[in-house]
Order: sequence, then structure tokens, then C-alpha cells
Amino acid sequence: MTTKAPFELEKLSNDEYILNMGPQHPSTHGVLRIILKLDGEVVKDLYCDVGYIHSSVEKMCENKKYEMIMPYTDRLDYLSAVNYNWGYALAVEKLMGITVPERAEYIRVMLAELNRIMSHLLWYSAYGMDVGALTPIMYAFREREEVIDMIEGMTGGRLTHNAFRFGGFRNDLPKDFMDSLKKFIGHFNDKIDEYEALLINNIILTARTIGVGVLSKETAINYGVTGPSLRGSNCAIDLRKTAPYSIYEKFDFKACVGKNGDTWDRLKVRMDEMRESTKILKQAMEGIPAGDIMAKVPKIIKPAPGEVYTKVESARGEFGVYIVSDGTDKPYRIKFRSPSFSNLSVLKEITIGSKIADVVAIMGSLDLVIPEIDR
Amino acid sequence: MIFTEILDKLKAKHEVLESKEDLGVLNAWVSAKKIKEVIGFLKNDMQFGQLSFVTAVDLMAANNIEMVYRLFSYETKSDVVIKVKLDRAKPEIETITSIFSTADWHERETSEMFGVKFLNHPDPNRLLLPDGIDMPLRKDFKCADMTPLPKV
Repeated sequence: MTTKAPFELEKLSNDEYILNMGPQHPSTHGVLRIILKLDGEVVKDLYCDVGYIHSSVEKMCENKKYEMIMPYTDRLDYLSAVNYNWGYALAVEKLMGITVPERAEYIRVMLAELNRIMSHLLWYSAYGMDVGALTPIMYAFREREEVIDMIEGMTGGRLTHNAFRFGGFRNDLPKDFMDSLKKFIGHFNDKIDEYEALLINNIILTARTIGVGVLSKETAINYGVTGPSLRGSNCAIDLRKTAPYSIYEKFDFKACVGKNGDTWDRLKVRMDEMRESTKILKQAMEGIPAGDIMAKVPKIIKPAPGEVYTKVESARGEFGVYIVSDGTDKPYRIKFRSPSFSNLSVLKEITIGSKIADVVAIMGSLDLVIPEIDR
Repeated sequence: MIFTEILDKLKAKHEVLESKEDLGVLNAWVSAKKIKEVIGFLKNDMQFGQLSFVTAVDLMAANNIEMVYRLFSYETKSDVVIKVKLDRAKPEIETITSIFSTADWHERETSEMFGVKFLNHPDPNRLLLPDGIDMPLRKDFKCADMTPLPKV
């Protein structure tokens, strides 16, 4: 949070002016403030002011036992909570040398991919609203509801799902889960075509997004951009492929990439990613073995002194958990590396020179979630 | 690349004060003055293209603030951790923003959370915290909200 004005009024030329966007602005999807320096409609400079909902999650976690931290992780990114639980569970499991049973790994993959679809569908709806298309949300939420119902059956939560335990799960999948999943996979690919026809390939949207906010591959990597925003810049980096965790090596899918790195490419990558997730879900559904869902885990979680960093591909990019253990039942230091944090920092680089209405279109294409930036 | 290989290459060019392997990843301690050269060397000559994060750990018992730089190479798929021990009373280190742009925000966060001063930083303002809260992630941070409520 900044108390100092980022741009000095005295230094502005006669044509330039300052516009404050946020912290309460509908297109920021949370409390994010952006200060724009404009010349007419053209953005000359931009300053991101974050920290409005900083709650010092890291400090809270340092004062909690390992088991008690799990619910904090899914509140960082309420839209892809499963992936965040997973990142933290992986870290503690690696620190303690726990091997998760295969069935539990399959359940994790299925939940994570459903969650990715759920997150991308919400992004799709919200992005439509950002750029002025109010209908797509009605279509996307129809399928999102199906996904939420499935995840709710397994985890008990509709938004901040929390089913992960160190070593697996407490409960197995509900009885009707597989039937619902089968039904969902059966018709979801057609629905994605429908979404693309409705919004992504719509001539008004393509005119607003093609060639706008071009992010080059080098800039993206230099700014630590990850996830679909990076892959839009023709860079096939997907942690599920480049640094596979869990059982992702077993599945046949591809990292979706865009061509030019403009806003439209980032949108298209997310749509393609939903198709790939459906592919993974189908393979997981066919290959899931019977067996245990929980490994043998000591009653008191007390990892040996040491440190660990694990990362997972969340819907937004690389989510990493860095834990320093001092041998007690609380972590000595815990750090969450959140994808939106780095993704937002590149906004200035790709927005300067574009029109003010494009700021919303570009920002939406980065798919930001503010609580994980502020933590 | 396995960790001994990275260590040998790093040692050939720069002074490594201390090193150890932690879960297959090389942890190398370097001096604060050399940080820019070491990170630059890792990025340009050893293909460590991604800076995963920058943070610090407050080692109160040893009276140190330990900086942690974690890098990942998309080419060789290996990680490396560079650490720097700073004096807890006056932690100061050169910024690496000119090498990795992502370090900008990470360093600003570390700066307000641990009181580390980054020399020559292009924008040394606060990032997340409002004025009046200083160094909350240090272990001796005290705040009225952190004392438990009395039992009734």
C-alpha cells in the first residue's frame, strides 16, 4: 500500500492527467487500485497499488500447527482452492517423506482438473462482463454448477473446498461421483465450442483483443509470469509437464500455447486448457484403481529440521510453498509464492501505450485473484 | 543438472562460503557484496531463467537475517537456492532488479516484512503494508492483536 503519490502533479505536461481506478472497481475483482497517467485516452504510465486486503497469512501460519494451516491455503485463491491445498500438502508430504496411495493421487488429479475447469469458467464469465458481454455468464454458470456439485459432494464446500489431508483423503469419492463425471465429460466439449462461438470468436471481442497488450516471451519469463498468461506468449511451460508432480506423467495431454502473446491468445489458451482438462479427467476416470486413500501418517505432524519448496500448476500459474522447519510442530517460516503476484507486476509493461478501455481487457486476461496477491 | 555439477561450476567463478544439499537441491551461501554477480552468472551462463521468489528468514538465535533467492531452469529442470546472511541489526543488500524484473516486488515485500534495505532499488516504497506496521515477519514482532483474550 502506498501513501506516497507515484506521479508528481507538477511534472505532468498540459495534456496529461491522473486517473484513479479502484480500489473498488468492478473489473479488478477485488480490492486492487491502479493509478493511471493518461494523455487523452492513451495510457502513459501506470502504478499498481496492492495490499488493501493484506491479512499476513504467512505470520498466522507461523503460529499454527501444520494441520491447522490447510484451511488458510484455500482462502488464498478461492477459485482454485484444490490446487492450493495440494501445493501445501505436497510440501509437508515431501518434508516428512510420506508416499500418497495411488487411488488418492487419482482423486487429487480429478479434483484439481475439475477445479481448473471451474476457475476458468468463472474467469470466462467475468471476462465477458468486463468487456461488456452480459450473456456468456448464463451459459458458463450452467456447467460450472455441475462441476461445483461434484466437488461439493467430495469436499463439502462449494467455494473454499478443503478435503486434502497429509497422505491422502479422509473420505473416498461419493457413490454418484463417477456417474456425474461421466455425464459431464460426455457433453462438456460441445459446450466449450458453444462458449467460443459466443464470446471468444465473436467479432467484437476479437477486434478488441487481437494485437492488444502484447506480452513477449522474454518479458514474461523475466517478470516471473506463469500459467496460461505465460503460455499465451508461445512458451510451452506447464508445471504438469515441465516439472511433473504427483501422477501427471501418466496422462496424455498437451500444454496449450498461443502464438503472439496478445490478449486474445491468453483467452484462447484458457479455453483450450479446459479441453485438455477434460481429456485428463477422462483418462483418470478410466484408470482409477481401487485401494487405500490414506497413507500411514504419524498422529503429530513434526517434520525433521530442513526446508522444502514445492510447486503446483494452479489455474493461474505456479503456486509454490516454501517451508522452513525447525523440528517443532509449527513451521519456522512459511512463504507462499503466488502466481497472480508476479502476473500483476507485468501489467505496467504491457499496458503502456494502449487505450484506457484496453486496461480492463488486458487486466482481465491475466486472470487475477487479489487475496493471493496480498496474502 | 545434479547439485554437485552446479556447485562446481559456481565455485569455479565465484566464492561460495558454505554449501549443502537439501532434498536434492543445492543451497549455496555467498557474501552480500557478490549477490548481483552470482545471480547474473546463474541467469546468463547457467540458464537459470526463472527467479521463483525472493524472501528472507529471520534467524533470531544466530542474530542473522538470511536472504533466500530461488532460481529454476526451464532448460535443465533444476533448482538452485542462493542464500546470504545479513546482520540483523543493519541488513543491507544490493538489489537484483536489473537482472530479474520480478525481483522488484519480491524485494519490496521482503523489505517491509523483514526490514532489509535494498540498495539502489528503483522504487523503494511499501508494497503491501500500510504505514505504522514495521517488520511483522521478524520473530520478535509484538502486536496487541496477537495476545490471546483473557479467559472468562
